[in-house]
Amino acid sequence: MDPILRVQNVSKKFGGVEALKDVSLEVKRGSVTGLIGPNGSGKSTLFNVITGFYKPDFGSVYFEGKRIDGLNPDEVYNMGIARTFQTPRLFGPLTTLENMMLSPKGQKGESLLKAPLRKTWLNEEIQLANEVKNLLKEFDMDGLYKMFASDLSGGHVKMVETSKGILGRAKLILLDEPTAGVHYAVGKNLFEYINYLRKTYNLTFFIIEHRIDLLFDYVDYVYVLHMGRLLSEGTPEEVASDPKVIEAYIGGA
Amino acid sequence: MFDILSFLISWLPLFGIYAILSLCLNMEVGYAGMANFGLVAFYGIGAFVAGYTSITIFLTIYGYNYPIYSPEAIIAMGRVAGKTPWLNISVFILSLILAFLIAGLAGYLVSYPTLRVGPAFLGITILSFGEMLRVFMKHFAPTGGAYGMLGIPHPFAWIPDSAIKNTSFLILTLAILIGVLIYFELLANSPYGRVLKSIREDETASLCIGKPVPQIKARLLFVASGISGVAGALYAFYLGAVTPDMFITAVTFEVWSMVILGGRGNNFGALLGASVFSLLNRVTSILNFLFSDLPIDPNYFRWMITGALIVIILMYKPKGIIAEKPIKTEAWKIFGAYGETRRKLIAAILRIINYLKRAIYWLIGRETGYGPDIKGSKRE
Repeated sequence: MDPILRVQNVSKKFGGVEALKDVSLEVKRGSVTGLIGPNGSGKSTLFNVITGFYKPDFGSVYFEGKRIDGLNPDEVYNMGIARTFQTPRLFGPLTTLENMMLSPKGQKGESLLKAPLRKTWLNEEIQLANEVKNLLKEFDMDGLYKMFASDLSGGHVKMVETSKGILGRAKLILLDEPTAGVHYAVGKNLFEYINYLRKTYNLTFFIIEHRIDLLFDYVDYVYVLHMGRLLSEGTPEEVASDPKVIEAYIGGA
Repeated sequence: MFDILSFLISWLPLFGIYAILSLCLNMEVGYAGMANFGLVAFYGIGAFVAGYTSITIFLTIYGYNYPIYSPEAIIAMGRVAGKTPWLNISVFILSLILAFLIAGLAGYLVSYPTLRVGPAFLGITILSFGEMLRVFMKHFAPTGGAYGMLGIPHPFAWIPDSAIKNTSFLILTLAILIGVLIYFELLANSPYGRVLKSIREDETASLCIGKPVPQIKARLLFVASGISGVAGALYAFYLGAVTPDMFITAVTFEVWSMVILGGRGNNFGALLGASVFSLLNRVTSILNFLFSDLPIDPNYFRWMITGALIVIILMYKPKGIIAEKPIKTEAWKIFGAYGETRRKLIAAILRIINYLKRAIYWLIGRETGYGPDIKGSKRE
């Protein structure tokens, strides 16, 4: 299968710290790909480079064959890459419904000129609301629509954040530690959910995760970053038995 | 002694102008989270643009060659202002449009270099912009320097009766206010309002769901600054004069206190705040006028009361008197929650009617309508 995302020789420096050194990797279409590594190994920096928050000092990023490094984050999202953050970033004082209605891209009613003309965006709005309703119902969350996002439980926040990518018609979703701060069973649920979404909506997932035990049950391919360099790659079994990875994690000399 | 109608005529135009300002500020601060500490700059730009254009057009049409701030020009303006109703009205409309465009453009340009940094930088930049503009205008000869411009032609100067003249202006101001309110309500209760709130809560996250944040903010600043400029133009026509020192930073903070008192992120809250503070302003001025032998000038009380109100509101109702509500679009209808407020309202009205009925029965002494039997029947 062709790669949906291709990162080529990306380097990124912050002052004297080399956060990424010549990293090249590929995410295959329709896969769940993992990205692991000890703290400070450059995983989040890599995500920030892919989504346009940082411009790489060197190298390039291709999404579906088009070069995307140098684009702004909103442009990257509009190409079809959604992301979540380590700490959930829903809009607290807004309701779940409003939070989810925000993610579809290119809404007519979001332009300053068309917003006062209700007729121009009414149908679109109703259609999107129906879509949100179905999605919430599908995962037994339809009672949550008028709760404020700040009142949602940790597990629900993660579910809502992940589903927002579907509403935004994303093709690739980058998840930054989806199971951080939730219980093992909830984390397992979340991965089941991710697996389900991948199959039904034809999505690709690229996941940073520290819970390797959870991650390895669900991913097809794993990349290991260490000190900004790609240390190892392969199927979960290959990576788990790689002595270099074990050394990096346990902390050798 | 106290004439309610003339009180309304002196209060409501001021209320209208301040309400337009607080609606603009509410759009920027309450919805989009942009700390605009320099609202007065755009207000002042509007006032100066309106004053300059209207006086220049009048003097040019009537063939006077005086500089617009000279005493001769002011006398000439007094002579010609009431002669041609169509000119007054069309100059007024033209001035409002120009005030909107120039103030809006100023807002857009000022915001441009600062939108990519945090909200505090935007606030400080616009704050200093407003203050520098005021000092600049004090030394800018073509608009009269520190003395400003006098003799701005009132749009209804051709009406001889001053009560009718003032009432017409009042109605015009309130009409513009209602227009602005409807426009902002439509903006707020749309997907656009939702995007603004998302920017207020978390700019980065908003950027991550494909919203071009700097562009949205700059455009909103254009519209809101432009409408502040219209308010400034109305103020210039209302007073008939503009001087740079009318546009000190305190005006901005007065509008801020209106928004904080009424409720951020709620247009009706902004209206309420504007009415409370403009009323306070009028009342203290009138008290000052009526009781001139008080040991303390009541105008000083106004600032004390303003401060006390802000502290009390922030302590007991930090969201303002009218708290923010989720935006109303048809999306709620899909979930069947659209008519909820309406149902609650009807229930509340019915309850009040019931209480009134019981109070009336009690007053006229009808024992049968009040007492255990009515309570019993209600439970069934």
